[in-house]
Amino acid sequence: MIKRFFDWLKKPLGLIAVGITFLALFSLAAYGISLSQQPPAQPVQFPHKIHIAFGIQCLYCHPGAAKGPAAGIPAEAKCWGCHNQIVKTQTSILLKPLKDSVISGTPLQWVPVAQVPDFVQFNHRAHIAAGQNCENCHGDMSKMTVAENPQIFNMGFCLKCHTKVAGENHDLLVKLTDCGTCHY
Amino acid sequence: MSDKLSRRDFLKLAGVGAATTAILTGCGPASRLVKREPYLQMPEYTYNGLSTYYATTCRECAAGCGLIVRTSQGRALKTEGSANNPLNLGKTCARGQATLQGLYNPNRVRGPIKHTRGERLYDTAADPFNDEFADAKSNMDWAAATQTVADALKNNKPEEIAFLMGMAPDHLFDLVADLANATGIQAPVRFGALSMFESRATLSKASENLFGQSGLPLFDVGGAQVVFSFGANFLETWLSPVSYTRGFAGLREAQTKLRGKLVQFESRMSSTAGKADEWMPLRPGTEAMVALAIGKLACEIRGIPMPRAFSDVDPLDAASKSGIKLEMLNHLAEMFANSTGALAIPGGAALGQSNGLAVAEAVLALNAVVDNFGKPGGVFFSALAPNQTEYQRPASAKEMAEFVQKMIDGKIKVLFVHGVNPLFELPTSLQFGGATKYVPQIISFATFPDETALEADYIFPDHHGLESWGYQRVATGSVGSVLSGAQPVVSPFYDTRATADVLIAAAQLAGGKFAAALPFKDEVEFLFSKVTPLISEVDGFFSAPDINTFMAYFQQYGGWWKTTDGRSVPNSADALNRSLSGAEAEFAGEGEFFFVPFVSPTLAEAGANKPWLQELPDPTTTVMWNTWVEMNPVTAEELGLEDDDLVAITSEAGVLEVPVYRYPAIRPDTIAIPFGQGHTAYGRYAEKRGVNPTDLIGQNFNEAGDLAFAGMKVKIKKIGKKKPLSRLESIMGVYGVGLGEEK
Repeated sequence: MIKRFFDWLKKPLGLIAVGITFLALFSLAAYGISLSQQPPAQPVQFPHKIHIAFGIQCLYCHPGAAKGPAAGIPAEAKCWGCHNQIVKTQTSILLKPLKDSVISGTPLQWVPVAQVPDFVQFNHRAHIAAGQNCENCHGDMSKMTVAENPQIFNMGFCLKCHTKVAGENHDLLVKLTDCGTCHY
Repeated sequence: MSDKLSRRDFLKLAGVGAATTAILTGCGPASRLVKREPYLQMPEYTYNGLSTYYATTCRECAAGCGLIVRTSQGRALKTEGSANNPLNLGKTCARGQATLQGLYNPNRVRGPIKHTRGERLYDTAADPFNDEFADAKSNMDWAAATQTVADALKNNKPEEIAFLMGMAPDHLFDLVADLANATGIQAPVRFGALSMFESRATLSKASENLFGQSGLPLFDVGGAQVVFSFGANFLETWLSPVSYTRGFAGLREAQTKLRGKLVQFESRMSSTAGKADEWMPLRPGTEAMVALAIGKLACEIRGIPMPRAFSDVDPLDAASKSGIKLEMLNHLAEMFANSTGALAIPGGAALGQSNGLAVAEAVLALNAVVDNFGKPGGVFFSALAPNQTEYQRPASAKEMAEFVQKMIDGKIKVLFVHGVNPLFELPTSLQFGGATKYVPQIISFATFPDETALEADYIFPDHHGLESWGYQRVATGSVGSVLSGAQPVVSPFYDTRATADVLIAAAQLAGGKFAAALPFKDEVEFLFSKVTPLISEVDGFFSAPDINTFMAYFQQYGGWWKTTDGRSVPNSADALNRSLSGAEAEFAGEGEFFFVPFVSPTLAEAGANKPWLQELPDPTTTVMWNTWVEMNPVTAEELGLEDDDLVAITSEAGVLEVPVYRYPAIRPDTIAIPFGQGHTAYGRYAEKRGVNPTDLIGQNFNEAGDLAFAGMKVKIKKIGKKKPLSRLESIMGVYGVGLGEEK
C-alpha cells in the first residue's frame, strides 16, 4: 500500500499534490513567524507614548533593568500612585481594567513581548551598565502604544551588536562572543 | 517490520512526519501562552527575578540554629544554615531543610476553629491541591477567638489556668512566664519528646551532684583526642546535633593535630556508633559499672591515688556483666588515660534507665580522671543565653506525670497547649489522653492538626515558624552566649495569628491584672522590650545606639550573640570524692529482650508530616515511610523470622505489631524501634503509618525523674504475616535473598 502511495506521488497529479502541500506548509510557517512578531493582545492598551511624553523615564516603571536580569512589569500600586489622582482614571473605558484590578486585588495578566528562549541567560543589568539605552533593543517607545518588537531577538541580532561594540578590542570581542556569556 | 511496510518506507514516512511536526510547531508563538502577573504592591527591597534572603531561626527543634531563607516573589524557596550564627555556622540538618514542607503543608490549620473533641479536621483521601477538599475550615473569626481566650483567662481562678508549651519558641515562653508571674496562673510547663529522650534532667542533676551546680554540660568534642560516648547519639539527635557534628569534624581533622578517636558504648549501633572507631555493644544496664571500671583502670595507669568514686568497682566483674572483655577494658583505659585530650559523654538511652543518674555521674566522673574541665576538648557548662540568668530545663517525664495527675484531680480548668503534642510525644502509659476529659476547656495553638489539637475544644492556629517573629535561646552547643532571632520570611498563607498576639490581645480584653501584665501593642513590641537590655551589653557581635537600629541588625544577622567565651567551668574539686554506684539497672516487665527506643534523626516528634523526611532513608537501615524493629540476624534465625515478618512486641505497658529488620549491628538480646511514626492525626503524610514505640514504655523513672525509656524488657511473638518495608538498600544477596538460598 505504501509503495502504491509513493508511486502515485511520482505521477503528475501526485507532484501537484506535493507542491500544494509544500506551499501550504510554507505559508503556514510564514504566517506563524509573522504572527510571532506582532504585538500580542494585552489586557490594557497601554500607551507608552503618552507616558514618555509626560517625561517619565523607562527605569521609573521598570527599575529591575538596572538592578537585575528582568526589567519587570510595574506593580499596580505604582500605576495607582499617579492614576488615583487623575480624574480620567475614573471615567476612561481604557483605564477600566486597571481600576478593576486595583479594586478587586487581582493582578493584570500581561503578555510578554520581548522574549528570548530559555537557553539564553539574558541580563538587563549588564547592558544598562555598559551604557546601552533601552531603545537600542526595544525601539522607540515614544511612538508605540503597547510594546512591539522592532526586530527578531535571535542570536544574529545579539552578536551583531556584540561584535560592533567590541570593535578592534580583541579581548572584549572574545568575552562578548563567547558561548558561555549567554548560554550557561 | 510488517510485510506491507518496509523499513525504508517506514523511515521515509517518519521523516516526513517529523519535518511536518517541526514546521507546524516550531513557528508557533508558544511562549505567548505565558502570562505575567506583576505585584499589586511590590514589597520593599524586592526586584523581579531576584531573590531576597532573610535570616531567621529554625523551629523544627529547640536547638536554635540560624537559617538563611531564599525567597522569591514572596515565596520561601530554600533554607540553608546561616553562616553568621555561631551555633551552626552555615549548616543545617535534614529537618532544617525540610521546614519548607511544613510551611507549604496541605494539612495546616487554616483559621480559628471551634472544635468537637475527637472530630477529624480533614479528609485524608482528599486531593491536596484542591482547596474545595482542603481540611480544617475555619468556623469563627479572630475577634471571637480572642474573646474566647480572654474569657478563659478572666472566668477561671488563675491557679486553675495552665500552659503546656513546647521547647520552642522561647519568646512565647517568656511572654507566658511574665503573664504567670504577674497574675498567679500556673507557671508554664515545657516539654518535648527530644528532651525526654536526651534525659536532660538527668544530665542537670548529675552535674549538681558532682559539681555542686545544675546546668547543661557542654562537651568540646572538636578539641578532644579521645571521646568515649556512653549512649549519646550526638551525630543524630542529641542536644544540638548540627553543632556536635561540627565538633566531630574537628575531632577527625588531622591537618594540625592527630586524628581524634571516638568510642561509642551502646547496645544498638546508631549513626554515631557507625562513625566511631570502636563500638562497644555492652549489655544494657551496665554502663555505670563499665565507666567506673575504666575510671579505676585509668587511675591505676596514671598513677593517681584511687579516689572514692572508683574504689568499689571490680573491673573483672564489670567485664563479665557487661560483655566487654577485661583486655578490652584495659585497652580502653589506656587509650583514655594516655590521651592528651580525653573526654567522656553520658547521654541518650544510657541515662534512660532506672540507674540513669548513676550512669551520668559515673561517666562525668571519668572526666575528672583526666581533669579536662574547662580545657580544650573537655567539659564545660553551656553558655547561658544573653537574656537568661540560670539554666531552665524542660519538664522531666516525672514532672509531666505530676502535671497529668493535676489534670485528673481537676486542678486545671483551662489548658492552653502550644508547640508540643503530648498525646503523641508522651508515653501512653502516662495517661495524658485519658486525663484530657477532666479538663473542661482545652485550647490548642497548633499549626498542624496534631493528636492533641484534635482533643481540644478550640484550635487557634499559630503561624508556621517561617511566618513568625520570635527568638530562641541557644541552650547548648555554642562557645559564646547566643540569642537566635526569628522574623517572618513570608506573609502568612492562611488566616493564622501569632499566639503571642492572641494572648496580648486577650489579656487586654480580660483587663485588670492581665492587661497590666502584658502592656504591649503586639508581639513585635514585646520582642523589642525583651531585646532592649542587650543594647547596653559591651561584647556583642554588633552594637547599636538605639533599639530600632539594634533590631534592624538583629533581623539582618538573625540574632545577637557575644563574641566572648560564655562557657563556665564546672567545679570538679569534689567530683571524685564521693562513692558512686555501679549497680546494674533494673528492667521493668517480663521478657527476654532489652527494648531500646531511639529517636529517628529525621522524623522525631514533628517531622513525620514532611514527605522529604519520610522519603529520606534512615541512616543505618535505609528504611523509609515506616517503622521497623531492629533485630540481630542470630536472634531472628532462632525465632524463625525473616525480614518484613510481623512480630507482636509485648511490654508491661502495651503491645505493638512491627515488621522485622534484621540488623547485624545490635546485640542479640536487644531490639530497637525508632520513634517518629505512628501518628493517628497530624496530616495525610504522617498518619496511619508505622507505630509509636512510646506505647510500649511504662511509667518508670530514673532518680532524676527522667523516663526510663530504655529500661524495659519485652517479649516477641511471631504473627505469621508479612509487611514489606520500603528501603533504599537492595536486599538482593543479603542473607542469601535472591540466590535461591532463602530459608
